[in-house]
Amino acid sequence: MEKQDNLDNINQPEEVRVGVYVCHCGGNISDVVDTKAVVEAASKHPNVKIARDYVFMCSDPGQKLIIDDIRENNINRVVVSACSPTLHETTFRKALRRAELNPYLYEHINIREQDSWVHKGDHEGATAKAIRLTMAGVEKIARQDPLEPIVVNAEGHVVVIGAGVAGMRAALALSRRGLGVTLIEKSAQMGGRTRELDTVYPTEEKAADIIAQLEKAVRDAKVDVRLNSEVEAIEGFIGNFEILIKSADSKTAKARAGAIIMATGFNHYVPYEGEFGYRQSPEVLTLPEFNKLLTELPPSQKLTYKGREIRSIGFIHCVGSRQTEGIHQPQPDGKVNDYCSRVCCTSALHTIHRTLDRFPDLHIYDLYKDIRTYGRGHEDYYERASKRGVLFFRYTDDGLPVFTPPQKDKTATLTVKDVLTWNEEVTIPVDMVVLVTGMMPRNIANLITMLKLPIGADRFLQEVHPKLRPVELANNGILVAGTCQGPMDITECSSAAGAAAAKVSILLSKDTIEMDPFVARVDTARCDGCQLCLAECEYKGALTMAENRAKVNPALCAGCGSCVAVCPTRAINVAGWTLDQFDAMIDAIGAEETESELVPA
Amino acid sequence: MNGTIEQLKADVLVVGAGIAGLQTSLDLADQGNRVLLVERQPSIGGRMINLSKVFPTLDCASCITTPRMASVAHHSSIDLYTYTEVDRIEREKGKFRAYLTKKPRYIEEELCIGCKRCEEACTTYLPDEYDHGLGGKKAISIPFTNAIPQYPVMDMDNCLLCGSCAKACPTQCINFLQEPKTFEVEAGAVIMTTGYNLTELSAKKQYGGTKYPNVISPLQMERLLAPHGPYGGVMRPSDGKIPSSIAFVQCAGSRDKSLGVPYCSRVCCMYAIKQAMLLSGSLPIADITIYYMDIRAFGKGYEQFYQNAKAMGIEFVKAKVGRISEDSEHNPILRIERQEDVAQPEEVTHDLVVLSLGMVPAWVPDRDGIIPLETDTDGFIRSMNEKITPSLTSLSGVFAAGTITGPKDIVDTILEAGAAATEAANYLRGQEVR
Repeated sequence: MEKQDNLDNINQPEEVRVGVYVCHCGGNISDVVDTKAVVEAASKHPNVKIARDYVFMCSDPGQKLIIDDIRENNINRVVVSACSPTLHETTFRKALRRAELNPYLYEHINIREQDSWVHKGDHEGATAKAIRLTMAGVEKIARQDPLEPIVVNAEGHVVVIGAGVAGMRAALALSRRGLGVTLIEKSAQMGGRTRELDTVYPTEEKAADIIAQLEKAVRDAKVDVRLNSEVEAIEGFIGNFEILIKSADSKTAKARAGAIIMATGFNHYVPYEGEFGYRQSPEVLTLPEFNKLLTELPPSQKLTYKGREIRSIGFIHCVGSRQTEGIHQPQPDGKVNDYCSRVCCTSALHTIHRTLDRFPDLHIYDLYKDIRTYGRGHEDYYERASKRGVLFFRYTDDGLPVFTPPQKDKTATLTVKDVLTWNEEVTIPVDMVVLVTGMMPRNIANLITMLKLPIGADRFLQEVHPKLRPVELANNGILVAGTCQGPMDITECSSAAGAAAAKVSILLSKDTIEMDPFVARVDTARCDGCQLCLAECEYKGALTMAENRAKVNPALCAGCGSCVAVCPTRAINVAGWTLDQFDAMIDAIGAEETESELVPA
Repeated sequence: MNGTIEQLKADVLVVGAGIAGLQTSLDLADQGNRVLLVERQPSIGGRMINLSKVFPTLDCASCITTPRMASVAHHSSIDLYTYTEVDRIEREKGKFRAYLTKKPRYIEEELCIGCKRCEEACTTYLPDEYDHGLGGKKAISIPFTNAIPQYPVMDMDNCLLCGSCAKACPTQCINFLQEPKTFEVEAGAVIMTTGYNLTELSAKKQYGGTKYPNVISPLQMERLLAPHGPYGGVMRPSDGKIPSSIAFVQCAGSRDKSLGVPYCSRVCCMYAIKQAMLLSGSLPIADITIYYMDIRAFGKGYEQFYQNAKAMGIEFVKAKVGRISEDSEHNPILRIERQEDVAQPEEVTHDLVVLSLGMVPAWVPDRDGIIPLETDTDGFIRSMNEKITPSLTSLSGVFAAGTITGPKDIVDTILEAGAAATEAANYLRGQEVR
C-alpha cells in the first residue's frame, strides 16, 4: 500500500507492528459504533498486525490482552480506541511499561465523547468516524519514536509567599513533613487579615489566639520566616526555582525551591467616594473600619463616634460584591465585581451580635440581597439576629438603597425599596451606616507578570480546574492557597492550605520529578537561525540561541507548539506531535472512502 | 468460614470511597503511604459518580470521577475493599485495629471477566438503586456502566436460583454458596469519609414526597438528566410525559426546624440552578421555576452561574411553598405565598416538582457504632480545631473529610480531603497539629 512508502523516510530500525484495540466501554461505545467493523477496517492496514475489540479495555483482563500481544506477538506500537485520553491514557501507558515497551509508543483515540456519545442516532456515521479516527491514530503511532520522560532534580525546599492563615498553615504542614520551608511576608508580622479581627465566627475564638497558636507552631517547626520581605525575582522551573528575596532594609537573600505556594491573600473592597455616602459623610464606614472601631472602643455604656451617640446603624450588604454591569460603577479595569465574596454575610451578622452584646439597645437595620449564612453554625447567627430585633430589608439591583446625609436637625437616612414588604419604599433614620464590603485579590501584579500566573475574570488566581486540580496553577510547580484564589473564610483557607501542602508533598516526595516529554525539539540541520520562534515563545528561558541555532530547555518548554507554527523550515517539532504525524493523521481522516468502510455494518 | 481471619496492614485506613475518600487515598498513596480503602457499596465513586453534570463548570460527573476511580483501582499503594463493611475500629497501643466483613457477591472475583453474560441471562428484574428506583436492573448485575470494580453482584434475597447465570458464565465464577469473609486491619491512622444521605423525600408531610409520583428527589432528577439515565431523557415518572413545567422547591429539607435540620445544606441552591439549566437545555420550551428563600451561590464562579441561569429565563420566585397536592392527572399543585409582588396565597400547577432535599450524615457514631467519635448538635462529626485543622476529630489519629463534617460541595470536599491526607501523613510521622 502506498502509505507504507511514507514510512521509509523516517528511521525505523525495526518493523512497525501496531496493535489496535477497540473498546466497547460496556455499551457506551458498542451500542452506537460497530466495533467489529472498526477492527476489520484497522486490520487491513499493512502495519496493523493485530486488531481486537473488547468489552472494557481498561479492565484488568483488557489490559492483559495488550500485554500478552506485546510479549507474545511482538506488537511494538499500540492504539486503543476508547474513551477520552484524560481518563485512561495513563492507564494504558502503564500497561505498556509493564510489558517493557516504551510507554510513549501508545496512541489513545477517543471514540466515546467525540463519537458514540454525540452521534447516538447515526450508527453508520459514527462507525465511519470511529474508523477514520482509529486509522489516524495508526498513522500517527507508526511515525512515533520511543520517548523518554524529562527528569529534573527536585529541591526539597518550598517557598510560601504570604504569611496569613493560609501561608502559615501550608508552611507548618510542609515543615512537619520534613521539607525546608521559607515563608515570605511583606508586612512586619504574621497573621494577615485575621489580625484585623477580634473574635471569629462560628467558634467565637479570639483571632489573636489563632494567630498566636499558628505563629508558635511555625516557629517551633523551624520555618525560615522572612518578615518585611518581598519577592524580587523568580527564575527556574519546577523542582528548581530560584527566588530572590528582598527585605525592607534592601538586603537580599536567595532561596532555592522545588515548589512555590502562592498565599498572598485579599484586599477589602474600598467603596468609591460617594458610594452610599462613603468618604463624604463621616457616619459611613466599611465593615472592617467598624470592626476596628468596635474593638478599640473603651468600655462604655453608649456607642459614641466622633462625639455623637449612635443609636441606630444600618448595614448594607454586597458592597463591592455581586455587582451588575450597567448598574454599579466599574473598577479601574472596567469590570464590576460580579462575584459573591462568600464570607461577608456571616461576618456582618457576627459583627451585629458583637455590637448588640455591648449595646443591647441599639437599633440595627440589615439591608441585604440574599443572606448567605451557608456554613456550619452560620445560620444560627442569622436566626438569633431576628430574635434580637434586627430588622431585615431585602433590596435588589433595581432599587439599590439610597443614603441621605444628615441635615440640620435630621439624622441621616437610608431609603430602600423593600422586597419583603412587596416593594414598599421604606426610609430608615440611621446614625451610622456600615458598608459590608467584599474581597478583592491583593495587588500582586509584579508576581503575576514575573511568573505569568493565570488569573480569572474575577482577577483572582485561576486554578487549573476547580475539581480535578483545585490548588494547582497552570504553571508547573506553583500552587495556590487561600483567598488569593477567591473568597473563603479561615477554616476554608486552612483546608486549601492543607490540600496545597499535600500536592507539594507528592511532588517533592522523591529526589527527581518526571515530566511528559511532549516538548519542542530542534532539528539543528534544518534550523537556519532566523529566531522567529524566539519571538513567539511565551515561556521565559524555554527557547534560546546556541551556535546560531534554536535550543530548547525541556524543563521550561510547555509544548504549546507556537514555535512550530512560525518555523519556516519545519525545523522545530513537538515530540509526540510532529508535523509529519499531523500530516499523516489529516491524510487518514480526509482519505477517499476506503473499501473497508463499505463493509456492511 | 474456615476460622482463619486474614490479617491486613496499612499506614492509613480510609473508610468510604466517595470523592473525599478517593482523593484523600490518592493524596496519601502518591506520597508513599500504604492505604487500605474500604467501601460498603459494590462500586467506588460514592454519590458523585451518580450525578449528571456538576456545577459551576457543567463537566460531566463521570468524566471527573472515573479517572480518580481508575487511579485508585490501579494504584500500587492502595488496597481496595469494596462491598465491605467496617464492623468496628479499636484503638490499640497508638495503632488502630479494624474489623471488616466483605459481603458475598456470589461470584468468584478472581475468575470474573466482567463480560455481563450472567446479567443478560438473568430473568429477574428489580428496581435499580443507582437510578433511585426509576429504572430496573437484573437480580445479578454490574451496578452501573462505569462501576469499579466491574464485578456483578447477586441480590440473593430476590434471586430465583434458576441457574441461568451460572450456565451463561464462561468462567464458571458464579458461587451461590459464597459466605461473607472477615478481615482484620492494623493501621497507623484512620480517615473517615463516609459522606451524606439526603433528607427523606417523605420527611415534610405537607409536600407529599413518595405519595405523589411526580414529586421527586434531586438525585432522581440527576438520573433523569444523566446521559445513561433510566428513561433516556427527562420524563415524569407517573406517565412518561415530557414535562413542560418543572418546579424546584428550595430548602425542602434544610433550614427547617420541624425536620430537625435547622442548618443550610449549602449545595441545594446550586444543584437546583444546575438542574434547571440542564433542563432548559434538554427541554428548551419548558417553564422552569425555582421557589426559594435566599439564593446561596457563594462559591467561586457560583454567583455568575446563578446570573446566567436568570438570563436563560429560569424563573426565580421568592416564595414559601406551604403545601403540595396533586390533581387527577398527578400534576403537582403548589400552594405558595409570594414574598414579592402579590400578597395573597395562590395555587400553581406544574408537571413535575423536585424537592431540593438537604444533607444529613450517612454515618452517625451513636446510632451506627464502629468508632466513638464526637458529633455536634447538627449530628455531623465535630471538628476539634475547626479554624486551623478542620479534619481533626475527637480521637487522636482519626481524621474526617468531606460531608461527614457538614454539608459541602465537591470543590470544598476535595480541598478537605487533601488537607486530611496532609494531617494523617504528618500524624504518622509523629507530627499531629491538635
